Amino acid sequence: MVSSFCWSCLTRLPTASPRPMLPPTLTAQRVAAFHTSSPLLALPPKKKAPGQQSGPKHRASTTFKMKKRKVTDRVRPPAIGERRALRKRIVLSNPNALEVADMQDISADNMVDSRLRGSILGLPVPMLDQLRAVQAFKPKQGWSIFRRPGTVTRRESLELGRLIDGISDKPEDKGKVVKRIVTGARGSGKTVHLLQAMSMAFTKEWVVVTVPECQDLVLANTSYAPLSDENPNVYVQNQATAALLSRTVTANQKVLSKLKVSREHPALKSPLKRDTTLEALANLGIQDPATAWPIFQALWAELTATSPAPGFEKDFASRPPMLVAVDGLAHWMKETKYRTAKYELIHAHDLVFVQHFLSLLKPGKNQQSALPNGGVLLYATSASNNPGVYSLDVALKRVAARQNRVDPSSPDYPMPTAFSNPDQRVLAAFDSPKSSIPTEGTLELQTIAGVSREEARGFMEYFARSGLLRQQVSEEWVNEKWTLAGGGVIGELEKLGRRLTVPAQV
Amino acid sequence: MVFILGVNFPERNLVKKSLESFFGIGNNTSSRLLARFHIHPTCKVGELGNKQVLDITAALSDMKIENDLRRKVLENIKRLKETGTYRGRRHALGLPVRGQNTRNQIKNAVKFNRIERRLG
Repeated sequence: MVSSFCWSCLTRLPTASPRPMLPPTLTAQRVAAFHTSSPLLALPPKKKAPGQQSGPKHRASTTFKMKKRKVTDRVRPPAIGERRALRKRIVLSNPNALEVADMQDISADNMVDSRLRGSILGLPVPMLDQLRAVQAFKPKQGWSIFRRPGTVTRRESLELGRLIDGISDKPEDKGKVVKRIVTGARGSGKTVHLLQAMSMAFTKEWVVVTVPECQDLVLANTSYAPLSDENPNVYVQNQATAALLSRTVTANQKVLSKLKVSREHPALKSPLKRDTTLEALANLGIQDPATAWPIFQALWAELTATSPAPGFEKDFASRPPMLVAVDGLAHWMKETKYRTAKYELIHAHDLVFVQHFLSLLKPGKNQQSALPNGGVLLYATSASNNPGVYSLDVALKRVAARQNRVDPSSPDYPMPTAFSNPDQRVLAAFDSPKSSIPTEGTLELQTIAGVSREEARGFMEYFARSGLLRQQVSEEWVNEKWTLAGGGVIGELEKLGRRLTVPAQV
Repeated sequence: MVFILGVNFPERNLVKKSLESFFGIGNNTSSRLLARFHIHPTCKVGELGNKQVLDITAALSDMKIENDLRRKVLENIKRLKETGTYRGRRHALGLPVRGQNTRNQIKNAVKFNRIERRLG
């Protein structure tokens, strides 16, 4: 095919026009281009940053996706009982607090010494194990701020000391039974009052039986069963009874190991040996909780025995007085969380454990007082963990009225309000008439109020001497704190005392 | 490990939870069962006595639970279908049975309302 170009023309072309002197690019700039925009002058296009691209890429999914959570390594859960142990831990010593130099320990001599009123009496170290065993210390109490545990000697504790001293030692008070319900405002020291009673009872070698928390028996956390086929409406709590036996044995081991059985116990499955100690008897119930209740009854019969049965005279030793301390009484005055076979709630008074301790408030039967060897019953209510039972309020008012010699038939005697439908069993439980036995006292109500100013001063000085309070403890300052604490409510005083106050540096 | 009605439960499990693992036993039935045999609600399987385990098993075997109950539910659905009721027809179609709207949100109805319903 012949080309359309004329080769000769093309070869001649360069020679026909003179060669440009300047490079073509420069000349091109001077010449007005056909287009108005000049691509050569334009800045080079910016490269887009990779992150700035908005919107999804082509054909990418537009649905919202949750970011997957990173799977963290699972830590091992704490071992069984570890958290509870931490929650219930009781710390009785603070090595950072100063040792108070001339602090006395509670003893048989100084628990009746009224000169010590307002001072702090320490709890002897060997007794701490016993007090721990009966669960006298509560986790929220401020034992952990002082070098060693101690309690304020207040008017009520001196009076109690004299009482315990009299029952143990004075012949005219032998076999005396004092029955008290301890009430008072929150933080007024009811539980510590019980603790003081226990410490005094331990120094006098009494037998101490305690129920540290009434609520534990009604929360449906321990096993229960009908007592027997004859009484299907009364329930026994074997685990709780075994725990009670264990508390009693650990705390009173010294006393119980000296006492021997004084009678036959036909209710027990296997007959006991003649020389069984009461400690060994109680241990049977701890080992086999199924028999805990009959064993507890046997132990109680032994502790309240005044004379041996025929044939048991050889090993009989007279039984010591007893202290029965119960804390948080209001929980025993209402229906429990347990249910009957017909799915009805069980009243606390249908629990045989509760029945036993409440029956002690009544006058004793068979010409014997409730504690024939003498002793003290201290049943404390709680103000911080209080279920609020109206019938109990009325019943306690009635106890107070009887104490003030108001006749039950008089119009001043407290009555439940109309249509309040009070629980008659609760009213009956506290309706204890005067006992025919001269040594048995009637039920009293003891209301614990705030401490006096002198006692408050002693308490605040104890804070200062323990190095917790860096302040001049003056009369005026104590009076101020006493008023701030609602008239010497000791729990509030403790809060004020433990608050770290550092005087301003001048 | 404790056998209750042929199922093996670890000892650390709550009795109440273990009972509720059976199809047809919920909170109410299990609470009542526990009360009937005087077992407290926080009881663990390991704490049960032999007699209590036997009692519970005997009581459970008298009850219509597990496969018996599943079969009964399926039979009820089948009966509705066979008698030609509206509910039966709705079951057969896999549509809501109780008058719900069907314009949307009927996935669960489609899943559950079948003749051969799977019961968990």
